[in-house]
Amino acid sequence: MKEIIKMMSRPMNWLEKMRKKKKASLRHFIGLGLVFCWLAGLVWWPTLAKAAETEPVIAIKGARLVTVTGSDIPQGTILIKGKYIVDIGPSVTIPPEAKVIEAQGLVAYPGMIDGLTYLGLQEISMVRATVDMRETGNINPQVRADEALRPDSVHIPITRANGTTCALVAPTGGLISGMSALIKLDGWTPEELVIKVPVAMHIQFPMMRGRYRRSSRSVSGSKRIKELKKLFNEARYYEKRRLAAQKNLLLPYPDFDEKLEALLPVVHGQLPVMISVYAEKDIKEVIKFVQEEKLKAILYGVHDGWKVADEIARAGLPVILDSLYNQPSRWEDGYDALYRNPAALVKAGVKIAFSSQSASLAKDLPWHAAKAVAFGLDQKEALKAVTINPAEIFGLGDQMGSLDKGKLANIVLTDGDLLEIRRHVKHLFIEGKEIDLSNYYTDLLHKFEKRLKEK
Amino acid sequence: MKWRKFVGLILAMVWLGLSPLGAGQDLFIKNGTLLTITQGIIHGGDILIIDGKIKEIGQNLTPPKGIRVIDATGKYVMPGIIDSHTHVALSGTNEASVAISSEVRMKDVINPEDPAIFTALTGGVTMVHTMHGSANPIGGENVVLKMKWGKSSEEMYVPYAYRTLKFALGENPKRANMMGFSAQPRYPQTRMGVIAIIRREFAKARSYMREWERYNQLKKNKKLVSFILPPRRNLRLEPLVLMLQGKMVARCHTYQADETLEFIKLSKEFGFKIGAFEHAWEAYKIVKELAAEKIGISVFADNWAYKMEAYQGIAYMAGFCAKHGVLVSINSDSGERIRRLFNDAAKTMRYGDLSEDEALKLITINPAIQLGVQKRVGSLEVGKDADIAIFNKHPLSAYTRCEMTIIEGEVYFDRAKYLEEQQKKAAAKKPHKKGGQK
Amino acid sequence: MRVIRNYLVFLLVIGFFVSSLPAEKVKPTYAVVGCRIHPVTGPVIENGTIIIRNGKIETLGPAAKVNIPEDAEVVEAQGLEAYPGLIDAYSQYFLETKSPSGSTAQRRPPFSAPAEERSWDKTNFLVLDNLKFKKTTLSSLHKAGITTILVTPPQQIFAGVSTLLNLNGEKFPPMVLNDKVFLHLYFTTSRGGYPSSLMGTVALFRQSFLDAQHYDLQKKTFLRFPAKVSRPEYDAFLERLLPYVVEKKPVVFDCANMQDIKRAINLIEEFKLNGFIAGANEAWRVIDWVKRAKNPLLVTVDFKPPLGSRYANLGEELKKKAEKEIYPRNPAELQKNGLTFALVSGKISNPKEFIKKVTQAVEAGLPADKALQALTIVPARLLQVDSYLGSLEPGKIANVILTKGQLLTKGCQVTRVFVDGLSFEVQAPAAKGAQAPSVNLSGKWKVTVVSQMVTMEMTMDLTQEGSSLTGRLTSEMGNWEISEGTLSGDKLTLVIAANVMGQDMELTFEGQATKDKITGSISFMGGSAEMTATRIPDKS
Repeated sequence: MKEIIKMMSRPMNWLEKMRKKKKASLRHFIGLGLVFCWLAGLVWWPTLAKAAETEPVIAIKGARLVTVTGSDIPQGTILIKGKYIVDIGPSVTIPPEAKVIEAQGLVAYPGMIDGLTYLGLQEISMVRATVDMRETGNINPQVRADEALRPDSVHIPITRANGTTCALVAPTGGLISGMSALIKLDGWTPEELVIKVPVAMHIQFPMMRGRYRRSSRSVSGSKRIKELKKLFNEARYYEKRRLAAQKNLLLPYPDFDEKLEALLPVVHGQLPVMISVYAEKDIKEVIKFVQEEKLKAILYGVHDGWKVADEIARAGLPVILDSLYNQPSRWEDGYDALYRNPAALVKAGVKIAFSSQSASLAKDLPWHAAKAVAFGLDQKEALKAVTINPAEIFGLGDQMGSLDKGKLANIVLTDGDLLEIRRHVKHLFIEGKEIDLSNYYTDLLHKFEKRLKEK
Repeated sequence: MKWRKFVGLILAMVWLGLSPLGAGQDLFIKNGTLLTITQGIIHGGDILIIDGKIKEIGQNLTPPKGIRVIDATGKYVMPGIIDSHTHVALSGTNEASVAISSEVRMKDVINPEDPAIFTALTGGVTMVHTMHGSANPIGGENVVLKMKWGKSSEEMYVPYAYRTLKFALGENPKRANMMGFSAQPRYPQTRMGVIAIIRREFAKARSYMREWERYNQLKKNKKLVSFILPPRRNLRLEPLVLMLQGKMVARCHTYQADETLEFIKLSKEFGFKIGAFEHAWEAYKIVKELAAEKIGISVFADNWAYKMEAYQGIAYMAGFCAKHGVLVSINSDSGERIRRLFNDAAKTMRYGDLSEDEALKLITINPAIQLGVQKRVGSLEVGKDADIAIFNKHPLSAYTRCEMTIIEGEVYFDRAKYLEEQQKKAAAKKPHKKGGQK
Repeated sequence: MRVIRNYLVFLLVIGFFVSSLPAEKVKPTYAVVGCRIHPVTGPVIENGTIIIRNGKIETLGPAAKVNIPEDAEVVEAQGLEAYPGLIDAYSQYFLETKSPSGSTAQRRPPFSAPAEERSWDKTNFLVLDNLKFKKTTLSSLHKAGITTILVTPPQQIFAGVSTLLNLNGEKFPPMVLNDKVFLHLYFTTSRGGYPSSLMGTVALFRQSFLDAQHYDLQKKTFLRFPAKVSRPEYDAFLERLLPYVVEKKPVVFDCANMQDIKRAINLIEEFKLNGFIAGANEAWRVIDWVKRAKNPLLVTVDFKPPLGSRYANLGEELKKKAEKEIYPRNPAELQKNGLTFALVSGKISNPKEFIKKVTQAVEAGLPADKALQALTIVPARLLQVDSYLGSLEPGKIANVILTKGQLLTKGCQVTRVFVDGLSFEVQAPAAKGAQAPSVNLSGKWKVTVVSQMVTMEMTMDLTQEGSSLTGRLTSEMGNWEISEGTLSGDKLTLVIAANVMGQDMELTFEGQATKDKITGSISFMGGSAEMTATRIPDKS
């Protein structure tokens, strides 16, 4: 109540000032009008709030439903109440209060989940002032992607307009880059965006870049592993010392170390590490490393995955692939090495997910998956790799990633195959809320369409 | 004027004759879905290729005896993709030490062994306009090549294309995004300076041209000729003279709408032709002017927001401009993107609502027109070069894959054969490895 | 005793002065007897005699037909082969690479005025200024049978002119045959200045040649019509170009790959230059061009596929095969196509390695006699010294080498070298070298290099087979291959193919080795540094 009084006092002051200055009476009139409206709003507010409590119900009717986890439903209905899918099937009774979306001829998919992006961390890649995903230094476990998120990034609405509803936002660079967050692509504040944080601690191994040219610098994965092992031991010892000091007052209490502190959940096997690793030898060493250290791990990138697919499968490690706009670094591997890598991994039994590895081109996620299909990946597996697989890899398989009763209503309605380029997203729901598909692209387009109409 | 063309042709032939130029080959492509670009779709169509040229297109053609037949049943056959702006197959991209470097020619630094040529083939690309970079307000002379992987630079060179000179406006010639060593200030540092320095060079070229005209006049006087010296040849100004004479066209790298318009003004001031604007991310803002001036653009489908001037580059741009009468081509500007130009063309259907036909034009006949080679390539038509790409699915589908790339009847990329060779190599390697483990 | 010793020292000093007096002094007379003579320009003579008098070959022929003069010192050469001294027509021995004058900052063109002025370094125009004598280099050249070398200026766009040396001693002036042999041009860039790209360099060549032509015309017209034409301003750079552009003195283009060869030929034809093509490692790939243009070829034998070549880019396997099998066929291929060429060392800085590579070319199909010609009479002709060098003929300068075993076969050893009629004994490798290695150095080593400027840490992997070693050095600066290594007793020599800041160079290490420690010094162009290595114990 106090706050409301405070807020009311502000326009009053403004009005008084106006009066003192003896401005035109028209302005008074507008000012008073505004106050009136505002007061009226206050009166109406409780009733609106009450309406919100009785959650809105939406029925998507008549679409082909691609549930991902179950079989497709040629024509069915999804019933959404509040944030969740409350019913789905070929024949669902639509309650009278439901807002009905006629979706005949459209296809409903679960919203896509991008395995790694820089959404909200990077606006214009070459303008340093707008880039926030790469901290200086080599060891930065203490930094968190969610603490630099910019909800107002133009890339977020552009991305969701192509069917992505959730994305991992990760830091990069150095050896330990920091912690990632899973966000939904709708929200006014970082807090509203974030679904889960931290999702993983990000660790980088060198990529052998270059077009078919072997880099002259040798890729020393083992050196990195040594460094990591040393750090992890330090973290364990740091905790040990602290526990000991807590019990025994005679022992010195260790100073707070932000980096080791941040590594504790990792060494305890609670927080997964996501290790960007590319070369065959490095992948093998990383597998050994995570097993020795008993870490929860996700592999990222994994360009040489097809060479060691069985070993990755045996270790039970999931893989998130990096952008397929990368190129293989060795001519011998074949021009299509990265394109057929996903199929080879799936064939060996590895759980994979795709990622756009971008902010400005995060919208391209489905097309990476489709490229892998062109080079041998089963289409259904590709679809899983942008929906249920990343959900499960991030520990949210029970909440998203498929069209299932009880899951969050993250739904895309398209006029064609979700992974195709030649199709349009017609409706989008994030946690039950229908999302406006307009974005920075369409705003600019419409602005200059207007110019054409001018005579 | 005809004799000139004739002499040019003879010269070209002599020049080409210097190296063993494989005359095109014969080939018969059978029963494919032919996306001809200019003449609609032919289902179950055949193409007869003789001497590297398309001799016949239609249904149920009979292949001549002994000709190599490629079965395209269930496949999509389209003209080879043309990349109107790239930097592959070169040793060096920029002469960045000076602001004006019109004396350099990409023709001098062709690298026929750049693996990106093969990469291009795997994406169905048969021809590229490979260009000087954008570090200079006036760069160098660009070159058009066919992606004949394994052949010499002379065999790749396309002599009948427009001669084009690279210009660049905005952040790059300003060196706005340069760091470290290359960040040393160089005139120009502003967009004002960029236009001013280009104007200055054209003014210089105009007086240089006049100097030569005066000399040629004087030369006719037999009394004077013994001690009248010709002007010093200036290689930096000569390309600009060619532009003033209409023998060379500008290809101008630009981002902002304003600078794009300024360059059009400059072209009118000096009377030179603009072949196309490169990138032109804000072309959608001035679509009226571009359509009226009949100036085409060679653009990205959606690669944007990498620098300030690319921040208003909307993915709808290519489609929007194409719909409003601008000649649009989609380029790669990259040795990687070059292998998925067909995906980029498809994006104009998602953003911009182009039809399949319109989208395919962006990577075939439109770039051909921009390079002045539309009579030779860019569509499947009788009499044109047999530059062809074959896809397993419709090339605009996200699920498609290039199966074969043919230039002048010769197969330069054959995925099936490639895989076979890869397997052979792998098989040859395996026992070797085991032997080493002993 | 002491007195005697002092007296001996006195005599030695006197002797030294006498022997180093200018060449007017009459040189000794030698009669080389009992050898098989390979005159190169004529048929082989069994059991021949060569009379060398006052620096020249006085006569040569079968023992029966040649009288041994009374004043001759007889050199018994039974069982040995006699050849003309070998000519390396494209090398960089004795060259001290000064860092190009001025710092890079100074050399940058003034950007505020987008310069048309040329800003490459013109100072290194004469090689002779940059030569520094090294006895080890001289003896290693002699050991390889090389008696004449063309020293080319270090890589720059307009690099300067080369100097031809006859390796007759320890001082440069007496060695010099010609100090303005060729003008050397490289398809390289000016670091930090204009031109910064290959295409810029090609444009600069064209503009400079045009300017030289124009300057010449200006000068000539002025001389004809001094009253009517203004005097052209003196241009030091163009003056230097005139002999090559106008008077058609030979210009050598260094061609690292096949595209460079075509670039060179295009320029040579456009400006009607008297052009030579050096390098030409990839001449076999553009054989039609080379055949048509008929430019003299100075062919290097390093057999490394150049950067950017498909043989370097398309996988390790192909690269290895190219270096082992494909590129060594280049000279044979040129020979088959009827082209004349000299074989030259180019970037190979070790004479022994150079001869080894020539031998490899012979194994790859180049007829041995053609290879020999390519090291003697052909370079002599190209250098326009064939009237007095390049073969064993009466009247020619007495550059003669004696070998055990035929030249360009494995195991061939040079035993004695005559240059300008002066005899140089070559250490018989059997006596001092080629001892059985005392230890096996295979394994990993931690290397510390200390020079005046830097201390560098590296790791070294060595593999020893018999007395020869191979391996690599790994450091922050990249991976450096050990291209050659020998262990003789405890004496270790390593030749390291290094790349420093994108610049290929060869480093030589010489020192002692024990089982776990190596000490010695590493020498490179114009400098040396101490190197120690300790063995990293093998864990497994």
